Amino acid sequence: MSKRKNWILSMTGMVIVALFLFPVYWMIITAFKTQNEVFRTPPTFFPENFRLDSFLTVISGGVGQYFLNSVIIAGCATIIVLLLSVPSAYGLARFKIRGVALMMLVFLVTQMLPATVVLTPLFVVFNNAGLLNTYVAPILATATLGVPFSVLLLRTFFKGIPKELEEAASIDGCGKVRTFLQVILPISLPSVLVCGAISFFFAWGDLIFSITFNRNQDLWPLTAGIFNAVGRYGIEWNNLMAFATISVLPVIIIFVLLQKHLVEGLVSGSVK
Amino acid sequence: MLPMWKEIRTQWKGYVFVLPAVIFMLILIGYPLIYNIVLSFQNVDLSNVATQDKQFVGWENYKTIAEESVFGISVVNTLVYTVASVMFQVVIGFLLASFFSMKFKLAGFLRGLMMISWLIPLTVTALLFKFMMGSKEGIFNQMLLNANLISEPIGWLSSPDMALWSVIIANIWVGIPFNMLLLSTGLSSLPKDVYESASLDGANWWQKLIHITLPMLKPVILVVLMLGFIYTFKVFDVVYVMTGGGPINSTEVLSTLAFRYSFSDFEFSLGAAVANVLFLILFVISLIYLRMIKKDEAI
Repeated sequence: MSKRKNWILSMTGMVIVALFLFPVYWMIITAFKTQNEVFRTPPTFFPENFRLDSFLTVISGGVGQYFLNSVIIAGCATIIVLLLSVPSAYGLARFKIRGVALMMLVFLVTQMLPATVVLTPLFVVFNNAGLLNTYVAPILATATLGVPFSVLLLRTFFKGIPKELEEAASIDGCGKVRTFLQVILPISLPSVLVCGAISFFFAWGDLIFSITFNRNQDLWPLTAGIFNAVGRYGIEWNNLMAFATISVLPVIIIFVLLQKHLVEGLVSGSVK
Repeated sequence: MLPMWKEIRTQWKGYVFVLPAVIFMLILIGYPLIYNIVLSFQNVDLSNVATQDKQFVGWENYKTIAEESVFGISVVNTLVYTVASVMFQVVIGFLLASFFSMKFKLAGFLRGLMMISWLIPLTVTALLFKFMMGSKEGIFNQMLLNANLISEPIGWLSSPDMALWSVIIANIWVGIPFNMLLLSTGLSSLPKDVYESASLDGANWWQKLIHITLPMLKPVILVVLMLGFIYTFKVFDVVYVMTGGGPINSTEVLSTLAFRYSFSDFEFSLGAAVANVLFLILFVISLIYLRMIKKDEAI
């Protein structure tokens, strides 16, 4: 490709991406504006004077607690997902056991189920188990989003590992469990990380489970908090956008750190 | 009996690996799924949800919801929402995938950057678009007015004729990068030599698209369409946060309707019935999808 063509295409690409991501820019920029400036006509595309006021407003309004709740819910859900799905995917890839097709079907179907279908029954189940208004209810519910995705993605990955690696380990006297822990797991770390990150995103983005299972707002994650804040801040869009920016920040940080792996992982996990 | 016993003795470790996740999903998804079907044939509301006093009422709940005009509206809205979202996502996603498949220097990086819209929590996206679609302060109307493309502000979310399309626009934005990514992978797997010989034969860009790219990409496009349908059909957050189903039910979809029955009106059985209709449609689509991918996936 000629240097000139390369340059033109790169510039065009940058314009496309800038236009596409304009809403994200608009969210962040609005968070730094004053209430007056938000309603200015014509709109300002860069804040006249950069203000941190809206961030301070939402922080004193309790955004810290919501943030902590999101970390707890998404963090615990991610740990559960990994503990369950990593061994399961390995078992499905490597052990000759009965019912593999059936179990794969369980994961494929559950991945496609809408939350609405299981919402009421889970509400009743959690109610009977005394789990409503605890962290446990949304943690378990959001973990169900990550498990099937991770199992399907990791199974494909484990199948791709050359069998010779495990055979060599077994000659050296490793049992299957030790082989898994000491040989397979270390080389699978990037894929496991991708599953962890995506399960974290799934749980981080949940709204419906938390607002249904937890009436106690002290346990709400950021998504539920921001939904509620619409009532509290009304059309104080700078405050709402500050809230939104804080909610998005961890997702963007994780994404930037893992970008290359994530993009590849998403493709193989969704199609296969 | 004997071979089975032998199998369990030699392969029990396999089950220890596999079963915890399966059991987890069966308890938290499988059991609720069945319970939801039972619920839809009972008469459960707030008064008897925690008691044993539940009666089977046959198809009563399904008759009740079918008689409500909002149910028909929701079915149509869900279909319009899904079909329109998926169509635009796939077309725009395909154009972008083709663009980024020209391997210029920043292509991979820029394509990855677009994934951000897919990763943002839907609640935040919905709120953001609600802000941008505000009739007075919203940037959409401001820009359109300034450019003299419209003379009156558009009631993006306040007008019953417009609201569904506004919600669709927000959803298209969310889904574009994912479609682009899947289609990019498909594009990169197409053999190069076919294009080269077509170029030698003097085929132009359009002819290559119609006669080579689209036919060869057909399996990938079908999978993307199916996945898009499955993930869009069950939409909740975007609609719930942007409009709550309003104005006057113009954006009510099956999932928001089910949620409203169950957790605003506390008519759990009616909510379950609506959710089952949603599930049934998705189930049929999923079966078709599973058949399609089974060909290249040796389960």
